[in-house]
Amino acid sequence: MAEQAEFKCLRCGAEFLLPYTPGVTEERTCPSCSSNSVRRKKDK
Amino acid sequence: MAYSEIENVTGYVGSFTVTVRKKARYVDVGECTACGDCEDVCPVTSPDEFEIGLSTRKAIYQPFPQAVPSAYVLNIDECLGNNPIACGKCLEACDKECINYDDEDELIDFEVGTIIVCVGMDVYDPTALDEFGYTRYENVITSMEFERLINSGGPTEGHLVKLTDGTQPKTVAFIQCVGSRDESRGNPYCSNFCCMNTVKDCLLIKDHYPDIDIKVFYIDIRAFGKGFEDLFQRSKDAGTVYIRGIPGEIEEDPDTGGLRLYVENTTDGGVERHDVDMVVLSIGAIPRRDSDVIQRLLTLQRSQDGFFLEAHPKLKPVDAATQGVFFAGCAESPKDIKDSVTQASAAVARANRLMMQGKVSVEAITSTVIPELCKSCGLCVKVCPYHAISCDTKAKAPAVVVEAACSGCGACSAECPFGAIVMKHFTDGQIEAQIDALLEHDAHDKVLAFACNWCSYSGGDLAGTNRFQYPANVRLIRTMCSGRVDKKFVLRAFAMGAPIVLVSGCHFTDCHYINAVRWTQRRVEKLWDELEKKGIRPERLQLEWISAAEGQRFATVMRAVEDLRRKVTAKEIEHTRKVLADVLAPVEV
Amino acid sequence: MAARDDGNGTLRVGVFVCQCGLNIAGTVDCAAVAEFAETLDDVAIVYNNKYTCSEPGQLEIRKAIAEHALNRVVVASCSPRMHEPTFRAAVEEAGLNPYLLEMANLREHCSWVHMGEPDAATEKAKDLVKMAVARARALQAQKEMVVPITQQALVVGGGIAGIQASLDLADAGYQVYLVEKEPSIGGIMAQIDKTYPTMDCSI
Repeated sequence: MAEQAEFKCLRCGAEFLLPYTPGVTEERTCPSCSSNSVRRKKDK
Repeated sequence: MAYSEIENVTGYVGSFTVTVRKKARYVDVGECTACGDCEDVCPVTSPDEFEIGLSTRKAIYQPFPQAVPSAYVLNIDECLGNNPIACGKCLEACDKECINYDDEDELIDFEVGTIIVCVGMDVYDPTALDEFGYTRYENVITSMEFERLINSGGPTEGHLVKLTDGTQPKTVAFIQCVGSRDESRGNPYCSNFCCMNTVKDCLLIKDHYPDIDIKVFYIDIRAFGKGFEDLFQRSKDAGTVYIRGIPGEIEEDPDTGGLRLYVENTTDGGVERHDVDMVVLSIGAIPRRDSDVIQRLLTLQRSQDGFFLEAHPKLKPVDAATQGVFFAGCAESPKDIKDSVTQASAAVARANRLMMQGKVSVEAITSTVIPELCKSCGLCVKVCPYHAISCDTKAKAPAVVVEAACSGCGACSAECPFGAIVMKHFTDGQIEAQIDALLEHDAHDKVLAFACNWCSYSGGDLAGTNRFQYPANVRLIRTMCSGRVDKKFVLRAFAMGAPIVLVSGCHFTDCHYINAVRWTQRRVEKLWDELEKKGIRPERLQLEWISAAEGQRFATVMRAVEDLRRKVTAKEIEHTRKVLADVLAPVEV
Repeated sequence: MAARDDGNGTLRVGVFVCQCGLNIAGTVDCAAVAEFAETLDDVAIVYNNKYTCSEPGQLEIRKAIAEHALNRVVVASCSPRMHEPTFRAAVEEAGLNPYLLEMANLREHCSWVHMGEPDAATEKAKDLVKMAVARARALQAQKEMVVPITQQALVVGGGIAGIQASLDLADAGYQVYLVEKEPSIGGIMAQIDKTYPTMDCSI
């Protein structure tokens, strides 16, 4: 089971979980608006 | 090289190095005379793929009588093996001693100048269209199964029979567009050849069995092409009845295997019932299920329907965007035999045009290192998708670009922390001149979008040819690859007062430069962090992947980005200008 | 071929605004764009043609390069993916290095996608020309690398298209590698009985 991380869409603002492996660059798409401006939320 | 698959391709037009995996066949092709003695003694029986499971073959078999090469093949997964207790019978039976259970896959390397992709198509699986009962009713068959039944070399020696009882049907129905021209289930496109294939099948039936009644259920009959209308008329003259409407349901009489079709005849709107003995589903074409393998190896692109995308629909209809690669046949779109042959000859003419000259000139868009600025950090070596850069980091010698291996994405130039790599024809100065010219006046009204030549810029071209409208304040700057978009270009644009910047490129699977697009994403992710730190909303830097086939998506993205631009306030822009003022300070000579 | 100009002299940019019949001019005010182009730095001459890609249009470019000693050319017409090779060839014929050409995409990226907004489209067209001139001023001559081409070809897939391609290539004298994943060539066509329009058998 791949690890997941929280992401935020910089187009529509939606927040969601996506598979995430540190150091691996993958194509990511916002499930709400299909934008690729998807940014991982940093741990506080 | 039959029974072989492409394992790897490297290089570029003129000299591609190809690695082919020649799969173990367990039969020596050179020695085998296809006598069939091995087959006679083989105790294993399996469904025959060539006959679509309508008959059986042995574990050692010849795919079909006219196969080329004319030799047997052993399916090792089905074979009981060379264990005297288990089997080993074929080995004994083979006089030529050409069976070898220890045969292994072989890797073969060779070099070619050009490549023609003719991977063909797969056929649509009608299982999902439950109303036709393909998996429930034996007398519902596909057009491919029909071809085998009517073929004199097929399992019934050409006798058209019902699969329930082996008797000849009195009435046969054809249903057209199965899996084609259906947005919701199946595929939206027309598969091109199925209408004519059915017309041909009707003529074949009438030729063999004039008494069989035939009904064809259709949406439109597309009989375009030389001689096709004539054949269509002949099939009607021979007695084929064409009914406009696709059946909504088929019921089977369990006792007789007879089939009842319910259909709305769309010429008069009446609901009709038709009783037939056999139904042939005229199934459409789908892209090869393993198309992604060759797509990745040759960095090809596919259109939205999944077939391979040509470099230009009218001017380069058989060229791939990758120089030296061409398409023929159903790999590019569903087509019939004549069109496949025509396209193959066209592709050969295009390949020949390159090869006959013996040499080819490559666009001069490559990178070079300025040795005085290079600090030998070796980052560019890591970035280059083509391993075209070498750098001795220990000896602190400047990096060197092998021009012939460089494909010109420019990712190295964008990543170099010291500005030591110049991308010819897409230099920093040239791109910055465009940014400055665009944002000199009324920057706040404009959307600056970087677009890569192969995908997002082409997607913009497609939006144009399809007249997909979008806001007029979008302006594109083209680079070969989004990987060329340097961090400093983005910062410069913001410093000049850009309300919003879009970086766009290929989807990861489409990237024309293997994986250069990954560097784009990494860079944008870093920029989001940097902007945020400087108090600039990261939302003002947008990232989108748009393929050459996604004209609609291109327009949608531009509308979305314009919506975001409107939310950027004048105060924000002023703040950004101040924060980034030093970006514009002259540093260059 | 005429002597090569690598564009190192004083900048002299020629701008050719193409109407593309009504494809561009139907939405964009090409005369206004041409007038605007005249005000840009280092622009020596501006033309406003009906079809720049046509033979007379290309002839005009070649003549203008000679008459006005142009060393940068901007063609404001369609997508470079359509006609960049055409115009590169035209400037090269006139003795200018082909990499000193720049295009502005007034058709696919402007007139065709902003059809209801002629004013905004015209403003955009001006910007696109301005950006193209700015880039053109910074362009440098390039020399293309010539690489030898191996006289061998790979055909992937042995269906009817692959067989035809392989036969044609072999007849043309090239060594062909035909790679087929199944144990026999023939593909889907081999499974078909008779084939239209000739109604003869497939194998």
